[in-house]
Amino acid sequence: MKSSPVSQGRRALLLAAGATLVTPLVQAQAAEDIVIGGSIPMTGVFAFAGVGINAGIADYVKIVNDGGGIKGRKLRYVPEDTGYKVDVSVAAFKKITSQNKVNLYYGDSTAFSKTINPELDRTGNILMAGASFATELNDPVKYPNQFLVGPDYTEMFGILLRHIAKEKPGAKVAFVYSDSEFGRDPIDSSEALAKKLGLTVPVKIMTPAGSVDVSGEVIKLRRAAPDYTIFHGYILAPIPEFITQGKQQGMTTKWMGTFWTMDSSTVMKMGEAGDGFMGVMPYRYYYDTAAKSPMLEKIRQLHPDYQSTAYIQGFLTAMLFTEAAKRTLNANKELNGKNLKAALDSIKDFDTGGLIGVPITIKGNSIPVGRVYKADMKAQKMVAASDWIAL
Amino acid sequence: MRIGTLKETYIADAALFDSRTQKVWLALAAGVLLLFPFMATDYWLYLACLVSINVASACGLNILTGYTGLVSLGQAAFMGLGAYTVAILELRVGSPLVLNLLAGGFVAMLGGLVVGIPSLRVKGLYLAIATIAASFIAHFLFANSAFTGGTGGLTLPPAKFLGLVLDTSFRLYWVIVPVTVLMLLGAANLFRTRVGRAFIAIRDRDISAEVLGIALLRYKLLSFGLSSFYAGVAGGLWAYFFRVVTPESFPLSMSIFFLAAIIVGGMGSMLGAILGAVFMTMVPELLKLGVALLPHGAELTVFLSPVRTMVFGLLIIGFLVFEPHGLAEVWRRVRRFFHLWPFRN
Amino acid sequence: MDWAYLFEISLTGIASGGLYALAALAFVMVYKATKVVNIAIGEMLMIGAYLFFTCAVTFALPLWLALPASLLAAGALGALIERTMIRPLLGEPPISVFMVMVGLSSVLVGLVELIWTADQRRLPELVPNTPIMVGEAFLAPKVFYGALTASVLIAVVLLVFRFWRGGVALRATASDPAAAYSMGINVPRVFSLAWVASAMIAAVSGIIVGSIGGISSSMGVFGLSVLVVVIVGGLDSVLGALVGGLMIGLIEALAGAYLGGEYKLLVTFIVLVMVLMIRPYGLFGTHEIERL
Repeated sequence: MKSSPVSQGRRALLLAAGATLVTPLVQAQAAEDIVIGGSIPMTGVFAFAGVGINAGIADYVKIVNDGGGIKGRKLRYVPEDTGYKVDVSVAAFKKITSQNKVNLYYGDSTAFSKTINPELDRTGNILMAGASFATELNDPVKYPNQFLVGPDYTEMFGILLRHIAKEKPGAKVAFVYSDSEFGRDPIDSSEALAKKLGLTVPVKIMTPAGSVDVSGEVIKLRRAAPDYTIFHGYILAPIPEFITQGKQQGMTTKWMGTFWTMDSSTVMKMGEAGDGFMGVMPYRYYYDTAAKSPMLEKIRQLHPDYQSTAYIQGFLTAMLFTEAAKRTLNANKELNGKNLKAALDSIKDFDTGGLIGVPITIKGNSIPVGRVYKADMKAQKMVAASDWIAL
Repeated sequence: MRIGTLKETYIADAALFDSRTQKVWLALAAGVLLLFPFMATDYWLYLACLVSINVASACGLNILTGYTGLVSLGQAAFMGLGAYTVAILELRVGSPLVLNLLAGGFVAMLGGLVVGIPSLRVKGLYLAIATIAASFIAHFLFANSAFTGGTGGLTLPPAKFLGLVLDTSFRLYWVIVPVTVLMLLGAANLFRTRVGRAFIAIRDRDISAEVLGIALLRYKLLSFGLSSFYAGVAGGLWAYFFRVVTPESFPLSMSIFFLAAIIVGGMGSMLGAILGAVFMTMVPELLKLGVALLPHGAELTVFLSPVRTMVFGLLIIGFLVFEPHGLAEVWRRVRRFFHLWPFRN
Repeated sequence: MDWAYLFEISLTGIASGGLYALAALAFVMVYKATKVVNIAIGEMLMIGAYLFFTCAVTFALPLWLALPASLLAAGALGALIERTMIRPLLGEPPISVFMVMVGLSSVLVGLVELIWTADQRRLPELVPNTPIMVGEAFLAPKVFYGALTASVLIAVVLLVFRFWRGGVALRATASDPAAAYSMGINVPRVFSLAWVASAMIAAVSGIIVGSIGGISSSMGVFGLSVLVVVIVGGLDSVLGALVGGLMIGLIEALAGAYLGGEYKLLVTFIVLVMVLMIRPYGLFGTHEIERL
């Protein structure tokens, strides 16, 4: 890969850090600004996503501010790098909220979202979204101040399973997942859903975290002879190895993945093994010109090079934050967690400017819509393999 | 070398704090600790609580590794045992805070006794590796039993103490810091007694200690038990502080962190454990401040996380190569300089 | 009882055990010569893989150039580590050196994240793609060639230690450095040689492991399984590294197949504890007698 992700990260951080350095000088206007705080994993294992998310939020904030802000009030984005560590994340949250009046916050992980939830409930000032699509967070009763920017992992599986049930009724679907909370999240509920849709799950294979050699697991998978294999809980490894060994052993199963595997650049890294790799993605890809999408056009104007789906996630989060704030202020209500969430819940058939292919409605704490895409290695692109499926 | 400290009774000789200067410093420290929460922001209170928990756990590890010479990489696992116990009791039984902390310490102590059993058969590095194995087995148990909430872990409601709900760092400070101080005093007292001296004898040469009549297995198990009790209580405080306990909260790298803390601070001294824990917890913050102050600070923040990892490793290597007795020795040298300064020629 | 399945799993387990054996060999080499427990073996493996990545992908050197270049670079790193961290600590208690190795592993991880970022990457294909068939049983080619390389290297090292003067010098230095000095053996050079060789073997192991599972900054966790292998085989026994590696590979594969993926590490560590209790010095290790 070229060095652009690093320099882009540097640029974004320079922007963000510059903004934070300048704000003490602008104290007089600070009370008017609507602050979006962020615990962003710009370094560490999730850095590829963190850099994209950071750029996405920053860009959308800039677009809003250039258009005059929300009812004359500007948005201000205050991020801190967390390296994807929970204690650093929490420390960043405490720092940002003690130095600014924060109403909107972006969290970097499921663990952070769960840890900070009691604090959110106690202070009641903040509406939070994040990089997590955990099923547990999709509970408006337990997590009244949070929402997911897309379907949760169980809903992602649901979209894939519905697609499979339509394509090949009664098919055998194997689940391969990692031994982590991320990996285990949707497995049990998805197995039940599969049964309801008339599909069978011949095997569920869990790989230990950080395992290198998966030959044993591939043998197990081959013996189950599934028609489809869904990977979850990974970013890249060990999926290519599974596919390579599976193909070598003559398996004819179709390979699928979930959100964090489905970024175009990640799938392209799979090389030959990734040709025909499918998966669920709730957003349109950067290079998608199939339908009218004014926001994608704007993103393409801002950045001539490929922007990851993590960027789009950050961008969309900022868009939803802005919309919630706008509706709250239009109703002359105070900016606090309850009102912002109520405003968010009132979003029905909202046009995301083409980032998601259909108008969206917030259901519970998530946006349960997505499309199945397939990898075309020759064109180095992800192409749509189904219509937009809304649960 | 302090002058004018004549002792006339055994009790006076064995006292922990004997000179007036020591007592004055202690009073100052107590004053600072009492006034700090009223002057600090939420962020600094959060850091203070975290430092305090780390000090308590490092003190426990110091008893085992610094004073008894048994290297353990399982401190995080024992903290996990304490944290899960407290979480389960708070969620499902609703017992009072003090009881939960004691129970957490007790369960961790049992775990420590079990892990300590091989310590008669294996020594030194082999024991360290056995403790690594113990920490993985503990992680497996936490992640795979429904009783402990599986990989999702447990979420606690805030603690209630004397009718107050402990949901801010300010309120938690008043529980965490006194408990830590109590534990530190307990450990300091331990090394005035026969048990403490037996530990030190085992560290210096355990075969000779056995020849002198110290029952090795009993004292080694006692050391494991005590240090894991400390870890358990620290873990319980951790659970009340973070309010979420998952199997990923207590990884092997946390055990390495504590071992590094007591090495950097100086093994085998109370002051060392305190200094080491404070230093290692504050290093990431200092790094952040330092990088922000540099001329190209904003650009360099991308590299903060890997630099932090490297600095951590370099600190361990640096202290072991250049100052094996740690920060406590540096402190002693500074003190000696000031003591002798009037008499230098 | 599905014998075909058992055979297939055992075969693949033994072959992946060959990978463990190779990494364990690097470990044993260092322990045999300098009595240092190199807990950073996983990270040295990782650095070797990343050096190969840099040579083969970033500099786009052809394979026959990239491979030796990365091995030489890894060897240089090994010599550097020995000079700066091990030499000053000669004579210190082994726990200090152990902790220095722990520090080293953090430094290496940080270095990798700094230079190459924490993203997962893939190495270029090294081996042909056709699967190896033993009767009805499949064996992944990468794993097979990895095991092959491991066996060849181990055989070479065994012979070197037995017959080459340098190998004998290594063994002499390990058992008694003072006597070795007085016999005219250049002990510091022997130490460096051992570390260089160990780093190079670790690099080979890293390249093979990386070509199977991709490379990332968290590859070092492989080192924990290697630790189990050397304890089971004996900290200073090359043959023990081979036998221990094969055993642990087999046990892990069987545990994964019949119990489930989450039990792999657990079973490995239970084996470790059992071996520590019953035969702490491993199958082939030398019994250390503590003298007062």
